[in-house]
Amino acid sequence: MALLELNRVSKRFGGLLAVNQVSFSINEGVVAFIVGPNGAGKTTLFNLIAGVFHPDEGNIHFASKEISQLSPDRAVHLGIGRTFQIVRPLRNLSVLENTMLGAFLHTRSPAKAAEEAEKVLRFLQMGNAMHLPARGLSLPMLKRLEIARALATRPKLILLDEVVAGLSTSEALALAELLRRLPEWGISAVAGVEHVMQVVMRMADRVIVLDHGTMIGEGTPQEMVRKPEVIEAYLGSKYKELGL
Amino acid sequence: MERFFSALQAILNGVLTGSLYALIGMGMALIFGVMRIVNFAHGAFMMVGMYVTYLLFQGAGLNPYFGFIGSAMFLFLLGYLFYRGLLKPIRGRSDFMQILLTLGFGLILTDGIQLLFGADYHQINLPLLGKNLRLGSQISLNAPWLISFGIALMLGALLYFFVMHTMLGRAARAIAQNRYAAPLMGINVDRVQALSFGIGVAAAGVAGGLLLPVFYLYPTVGDQFTLKAFVMVVLGGMGSIQGAAMAGLVLGVVENLTSLYWGNEWALAVDFVIFLSVLSLRPSGIFGSQRV
Amino acid sequence: MRRAQLLIAILFLILGLAAPLVVRSDYLFQVLFRVFLFAALGLAWNLVGGYAGQLSLGHAAYFGAGAYGLAVFSKAGIHPWLALLLGVLLAVLFAALIGGVSFRLRGPYFTLATIAFAEVLRVAAKNLAAVTGGDVGLQVPGLFVKSSGRSLYLAAVLLTAVALCITAWVSRSKFGYYLMAIREDEDTALSVGVNATRCKLRALLISAALTALGGGLYGSLFLFIVPDQVLSIDISSEMAIVAMLGGAGTFLGPLIGSVILESAAELLKNIFHEAHLLIYGLLIVLVVLFLPEGIAGTLAHRLRRKSAIAAPPFKAPGPVSS
Repeated sequence: MALLELNRVSKRFGGLLAVNQVSFSINEGVVAFIVGPNGAGKTTLFNLIAGVFHPDEGNIHFASKEISQLSPDRAVHLGIGRTFQIVRPLRNLSVLENTMLGAFLHTRSPAKAAEEAEKVLRFLQMGNAMHLPARGLSLPMLKRLEIARALATRPKLILLDEVVAGLSTSEALALAELLRRLPEWGISAVAGVEHVMQVVMRMADRVIVLDHGTMIGEGTPQEMVRKPEVIEAYLGSKYKELGL
Repeated sequence: MERFFSALQAILNGVLTGSLYALIGMGMALIFGVMRIVNFAHGAFMMVGMYVTYLLFQGAGLNPYFGFIGSAMFLFLLGYLFYRGLLKPIRGRSDFMQILLTLGFGLILTDGIQLLFGADYHQINLPLLGKNLRLGSQISLNAPWLISFGIALMLGALLYFFVMHTMLGRAARAIAQNRYAAPLMGINVDRVQALSFGIGVAAAGVAGGLLLPVFYLYPTVGDQFTLKAFVMVVLGGMGSIQGAAMAGLVLGVVENLTSLYWGNEWALAVDFVIFLSVLSLRPSGIFGSQRV
Repeated sequence: MRRAQLLIAILFLILGLAAPLVVRSDYLFQVLFRVFLFAALGLAWNLVGGYAGQLSLGHAAYFGAGAYGLAVFSKAGIHPWLALLLGVLLAVLFAALIGGVSFRLRGPYFTLATIAFAEVLRVAAKNLAAVTGGDVGLQVPGLFVKSSGRSLYLAAVLLTAVALCITAWVSRSKFGYYLMAIREDEDTALSVGVNATRCKLRALLISAALTALGGGLYGSLFLFIVPDQVLSIDISSEMAIVAMLGGAGTFLGPLIGSVILESAAELLKNIFHEAHLLIYGLLIVLVVLFLPEGIAGTLAHRLRRKSAIAAPPFKAPGPVSS
């Protein structure tokens, strides 16, 4: 059954059509990647799903409920977690406290929230950094902290905006490996990436390709890198020679 | 008919008052609207301008309609130094720090003046003071207000020209758009900001000088103008110099009409109610769009 | 909040309660009253301005509501304590209105809106002479019949204790974490399901109620109030300065701030007479320039840096092979 379903969703900013008639659906237990260069509309798409923006046309369903007009905090309550493209840690709070904020969605008790947050942080291999203030962290750690905070809300679906941007290949790989394990926790993920990195793509069950707000392809990674429109519009001819 | 003329008189008086408000507002539009510095000392600066003009009149016999130039120069310098010495070190910190700093500096100015010259009310005596320009049998315009109006109009136009068409004004607006790109374009950010702050404060100083002939002078006279200046900037649309000027005129008219129908005491409250309504209903201001 | 901080707070309160055993002079009681009153007010402001990061400069509205509520309602024949309660209710009502409009605004616009609201109330109080006595002022009933000065002082200590309890609870509850999240980054807070508007409003309502109680005590001490005093921006800024001087968003900050600011202000008044506002302004400028995190904030920062150096260096995890 589809967990998330977008049906001909469009969003306009003034004269700019940021998202144009996008439809796709994501099933439970799936890690999907949305690929598209900067400005392709990924962040807008995430903001539409997370309730920051509302679509001008079309509708969005999550767990069979219409969520097109939801507010961001309500979306979280339904089970949609998200991270930001530009990391937004709560700088003066510790890593643990940052993560606890997510965990407070399901408990009133700080002790329980801390326990839950610790679990998430250990999963993301940040157990050592728990008591450091967020402001001193390196970028790879901040990226993980974003994910930790979202995971602590125990989402059914997590939206990861530019999940590997700014990371080295090995860091990106490490992170993607972790994401691969999310379905074990009953969490589906939609991650935005800018480039088609082979290593990362192999982790994906599904790939959706965006170009200037329009969806130009959807399928398995293998299908996508063979699809002529995708190669043409976006990967470039050089990639064709390399093959996969 | 009687009522019509009294309303018309109030509106005309409002335009005259409003022209001086406009100068204060335009200075604030440059400082708060364009440069995003929350200047809570604006009214205190204006008050200092009044005292400078007053001293020039008492000490050197200089007519306020020339004395305001001295006030402008003094305040430009004061503003420039204030920016360099106190505001610059805390740029990049939260707005609230600026609020506190300028609030504190305003207190220093107000209480400093009070220590130097006492808390008494002063008024200067110009022969011009009782003269009126009569339009028909019902309407009369006060001569000193008219002269202030004329000068304010000219200087307002000059300030507008400065912000919109000179290199310095353009640089100030460029910095407002992008603090980080501006230096790459060869703009000396600190210098431009200090100069612009000085000019914005000088505009308040001019208004102070022009208010002197028609206003009582006392150390806390500027307090009400600080908030009015913010009201004008928000009303006119953040960063719009001409918007703030228009807002100044509107405020002058609204206040005079309020005085006429409800009494002078309510004028300030009406200002703030307008302010709050605009903030909550149309945050981009009522004149023009959001522009920087 | 650490145990040591809690101990300091309790010690401070015990000293406050014990003071009447030693202190005899009325003047000294007035000074101590001010110290505790502004500690409580600073703590109240701190909930909104410090923890939630919503920098209000309009708290005079609630202070004035408390003072005028007590005066106006008791003039209408209601028992003073009940009148005080009604004043608190009035302040909470104002807070709901002010918060409803202002919390949609961010940064300096929020601050400006809070000032504007308080100013509207001040002008209204000046002009609605039939109700408020206008500029002439209004008599306030004493809340205590016997040894009023000392009783009011103890009431101020009690108010500080209540404000401290609330702050202690907030700083270690989910609500407090949510407020801090809003302060640090409102969008991030929304992304973890925080209903920012409701949290901010709740904090403001609590803060307004405490502030109104303070206003009532203040009015009852001087037995007479005028709009330019209890509804002036000076009250609002003093509340903020007390909290910021000590350290906004810290548990002990407002306490420290009030002790230093109020005793300094009193000294300055005695030494410099008319120049005390100038010195006060100078003090504000110095705090902004050199102690932006306040005294408690700067201390905590120093300590944290020390412990960070002492802790073993942290290594980022390498790639995983699972």
